[in-house]
Amino acid sequence: MGPMATTMISLRNVTKQFPNASAPAVGGLSLDVGEGETLVLVGPSGCGKTTALRMINRLIEPTSGTIEISGRDTRAIDVVELRRGIGYVIQSVGLLPHRTVGDNIGTVPRLLGWEPSSVEERTHELTELLDLHEELLARYPSELSGGQRQRVGVARALAADPPIMLMDEPFAAVDPIVRARLQEQFLDIQARLRKTIVFVTHDVDEAIIMADRIAILNVGGVLEQLASPEEILKSPANDFVRRFVGSERTLKRLSLILVEDLQLDPPGAAGADGAVVDPRATVREALDAILAAGATAIRVVDDTGTDRGVLTLDHISREVAR
Amino acid sequence: MTRGLLAEFINWTWVRENFANTPPGTPSIVSATIQHIELALIAVVVGTAISLPLGIWAYRRHAVYVPVTVVSGLLYTVPSLALFVLLIPITGLSVWTVEIGLVSYTLLILIRNVVAGLASVPADVKDAARGMGMTKRQLLWRVELPLALPVIVAGVRVATVSSIALVTVGAVIGFGGLGYFILDGLNRYFFKTEILVGIVLSVILALLADAIVVWTQRLLMPWSRRDRRKQQAARIPDVARETA
Repeated sequence: MGPMATTMISLRNVTKQFPNASAPAVGGLSLDVGEGETLVLVGPSGCGKTTALRMINRLIEPTSGTIEISGRDTRAIDVVELRRGIGYVIQSVGLLPHRTVGDNIGTVPRLLGWEPSSVEERTHELTELLDLHEELLARYPSELSGGQRQRVGVARALAADPPIMLMDEPFAAVDPIVRARLQEQFLDIQARLRKTIVFVTHDVDEAIIMADRIAILNVGGVLEQLASPEEILKSPANDFVRRFVGSERTLKRLSLILVEDLQLDPPGAAGADGAVVDPRATVREALDAILAAGATAIRVVDDTGTDRGVLTLDHISREVAR
Repeated sequence: MTRGLLAEFINWTWVRENFANTPPGTPSIVSATIQHIELALIAVVVGTAISLPLGIWAYRRHAVYVPVTVVSGLLYTVPSLALFVLLIPITGLSVWTVEIGLVSYTLLILIRNVVAGLASVPADVKDAARGMGMTKRQLLWRVELPLALPVIVAGVRVATVSSIALVTVGAVIGFGGLGYFILDGLNRYFFKTEILVGIVLSVILALLADAIVVWTQRLLMPWSRRDRRKQQAARIPDVARETA
């Protein structure tokens, strides 16, 4: 969150102790989510990430501490009204099996008492936004593929245009190829809509792709580090974070940097053979191309065919050392 | 020849004479059938009307579930004839005696199925519905009850068929629908025609009622019909692959 962003969601010393549990699921968690920010809660199972998420829309009531949305204590807001103003997506989607896809998408607008014509108009807008076929609207959820179901779940959560979205492992139930497509599509939509998103995942790679900032939680809802993906990869706060992020930290970091962001040698510099890379490619992709060509550098050529310069292994290792 | 075989058991003249117009005090086949349908229908409707709220209550409060199922379970174990006899001092030889007995027998099946139906609603669907801001009442009417419907209707089917069978016992009190013919036939030194008319028509009624309930369920639940069609469609390529 940049210093200028206003705080949308604020957790203050939030604890959840379930009855009959020896230790709290979430212990004294404090964090702020800025307006338009995607904050990813990530951690191993039992780290309380889902509990933390579900306390925001009060599906779970905190044992102690406060949660504020736009400065208002959520306990002071009617719980039904609170939830209707927050989009909610879960891993198993939970579409109403007895309602058509169109009816599912229009659920919250109808609960809010929108005119049927407005509901229908909004449904078609979302169908387009999520790249769903119009003909799917008349089908029942059981007739959809896994990926379609997830997208309908996201469309349904976006239907009443809530400023906040809570997403609990929304893409975990689909295969890796579909997941990658959904992530890409979601980032594309988020770039346009700028919702305030709290996103839960157990997959650190997904967190790196999706997040503006990542909150790494340890068992018992202990916050180990809260920082941008670059920051976490570059300087993990402790051994837990280092282990959790995994052994390919450097390569993962390179996949967050674009070739055009680096200082290049002028066109025609030595070392680059036939290999060529697009300036919009990630540095990790460029590195792969250099190694594959058995070279020490690569020519950077954009899609208009303009020679933008030469990227060398030296540039990359200097970037890593930064 | 079927005609010849039936002729041995069925006295068609009796059937013709007792079909519609009978002297006062003697039920005709038509009037007994109508009474049979009325008695069973009222039992199932009243039983459902009692079981639905009780079942919802028992589902929500576990403390209620045990006493409700124990009481309805006890009622169910009392032999029907004994139950009617026990009720006579209170309600006399009236239609109430039969109806209270019939309703009592539907309760166990119906309440259990209401609870089981509600318990079968997928947790993630309820979670998503609550997360979208449905009130408790909206959750019940828009999500839980529609999705519990298959199990509830299964209970209604059993209750309907068993009520239709049980109505015949009411003949001992004078309200037994087609049971009258079975009892009367026995009293007439086993008059086969009359007994068979009572039994065969009861069975036909039960089968018809069951079919009507199933058909109504299909009408009420278009989503499950599509499920089946999709499953069938999905099965076709599998077969093709196996034979290829």
